[in-house]
Amino acid sequence: MSAVSEFFDMGGYAAYVWPSYVLTLAVVVLNIVWARRLLAKSREEARRRLAMRAGGGET
Amino acid sequence: MTWTWFHRLGSPPYIYSLAARLTPWFAWPAALLIVGGLYGGLVLSPPDYQQGDGFRILYVHAPSAWMSLMVYTTMAVSAAVGLIWRIKVSHAVAASCAPIGASFTFCALVTGSLWGQPMWGTYWEWDPRLTSELILLFLYLGYMGLRSAMEDVQRADRASAVLAIVGIVNVPIIHYSVTWWNSLHQAPSVMKFDRPTIATSMLIPLLMMLLGFTLFFVTVLLIRLRGEVLSRERTASWIREAVSP
Repeated sequence: MSAVSEFFDMGGYAAYVWPSYVLTLAVVVLNIVWARRLLAKSREEARRRLAMRAGGGET
Repeated sequence: MTWTWFHRLGSPPYIYSLAARLTPWFAWPAALLIVGGLYGGLVLSPPDYQQGDGFRILYVHAPSAWMSLMVYTTMAVSAAVGLIWRIKVSHAVAASCAPIGASFTFCALVTGSLWGQPMWGTYWEWDPRLTSELILLFLYLGYMGLRSAMEDVQRADRASAVLAIVGIVNVPIIHYSVTWWNSLHQAPSVMKFDRPTIATSMLIPLLMMLLGFTLFFVTVLLIRLRGEVLSRERTASWIREAVSP
């Protein structure tokens, strides 16, 4: 068995090791995506509130 | 001694700009530590003498489990500070913690389950450690559900703070569950007062992952906190500066 396929085989534990790593990576990436989306949404809403107030809206 | 720095930490515009400036100082070290920890854990460290390569789940499971407890503690403490001293920013910190903590608690449960199957012969057991960690996930979800059910932010802050504070009793229960009761789960090898019972070549990547995840938490917290602070301010004039492109 080559070194690379041996690495991916994880001594027979591939079915448990790799899903764990993939899930953790997904959680890390999603945390970044969700946080950035929350910030973008808050900025957008704040901008809309300001525009409404400037336009004599009902704020 | 001057207390101005402390008062400034309670000021939304100051926190907003400080969080923006601090983010890269946590994000880059977090990324480097996690990449280094992954390399060390997957490539450099030797297989375990009993579990072979299966033990490598440790490098994602332990940091996730650590996050689940550390984030909850941060959430409960800042909720308590917000409740006692009526500091809005403190409540915003608590609210920002919950989704981060919930996601890593879920991750700790699933990676633990994937580790349990080959080593204990079962994905799930109603064991003290596993059950108390599942309760932690429900506490996070309950906290988030309670917040989203309340229209008024101040009422949501107060009600969810009480829930977070009451739920903190679960944190020591999770940590000591493996010592207090018979558990399938192993006892701590790193987080104890004695010397760690783990080989150095395995310990160093683990410590890198633990520190990397902690810095990652701060990074995500800082981004979320800016969003939370901004959405709480209805009238303040500093918002104009903050959102101008």
